[in-house]
Amino acid sequence: MMDDDALDRALSALPLEEPPAGLHGRIMAATVFRPQTVTLGWEVWLIVTLAAAAGWLSWMVLSAPHASERLTDLIARLVDAGGLGSVNTLVWLAVGISAAWWLSQLTIPARRRIESP
Amino acid sequence: MAAAAAMEPPIAAAVVDDQELIAATLAGRSDAFGELVGRYERAVYNLAVRTLRDRTEAEDAAQEAFFKAYRALHTFRPGAKFSTWIFTICYRGCCDRLAKRKRLSGDELPDRADPAPGPALLAERKDDAERLRRAIDELPEKYRTVITLYHLQGKQYEEIATVLNLPLGTVKTHLFRAKELLRKALTT
Repeated sequence: MMDDDALDRALSALPLEEPPAGLHGRIMAATVFRPQTVTLGWEVWLIVTLAAAAGWLSWMVLSAPHASERLTDLIARLVDAGGLGSVNTLVWLAVGISAAWWLSQLTIPARRRIESP
Repeated sequence: MAAAAAMEPPIAAAVVDDQELIAATLAGRSDAFGELVGRYERAVYNLAVRTLRDRTEAEDAAQEAFFKAYRALHTFRPGAKFSTWIFTICYRGCCDRLAKRKRLSGDELPDRADPAPGPALLAERKDDAERLRRAIDELPEKYRTVITLYHLQGKQYEEIATVLNLPLGTVKTHLFRAKELLRKALTT
């Protein structure tokens, strides 16, 4: 029977298998040369979740009986509740939005910074 | 950073230790990580081949190990051995793959044997090294991994214990039994 030293010698002399030729390239492509993703992982999850929720909601609404009539009715009631049916409200809304837009375009000079001595 | 890296001499030209290569990789030197991969891909691949007994899956496991290591490189503890760390990552990945196989087939850790050997391979098996390799392949998984790490890392029992997350005594017992089984297999 082979003794411990002989087995140790055989083990140390055992050549390692050569990895496949493309392994180094594959590892490098998956690590340092991996293209940077534009979105973060959690952003992708959020978008997918929201899209799935929106899809599910749309399906629920559209698959209900008389969905289109109900939807039209709901929109009309929301418009009425928000006062969007009145011309006055729409005019004031337009004035407010345009004022906000013009103000956002103004360049206000920054206060001069006082340097410490 | 890229411009600074471009002005540096090539990493491979200088004899640097693993710690310096890790630092250089974290500083944005892709060639430093390439050098690290070059140093350990063979050993990592061999550990995966011995553990999984499937060359295609071992290739994937080796790639995955380096990918995980690269992503977690900033957490690498200075002073630790990169070889132990990458072997640990690879071994855990292999364990996950073995567990997945077990779940899928319902069998007890069904190791996949490589395809039937051709005449050339049969002739090669007469070789002592090939006999030893086959004997290692036929060991139970826990002994096979211990003997593979013993082969890859030398007689560093503590490192083997760290990789396998086993007490030192267990590693020594496994190694003793593995050698016993190997001796028997090689004698018969």
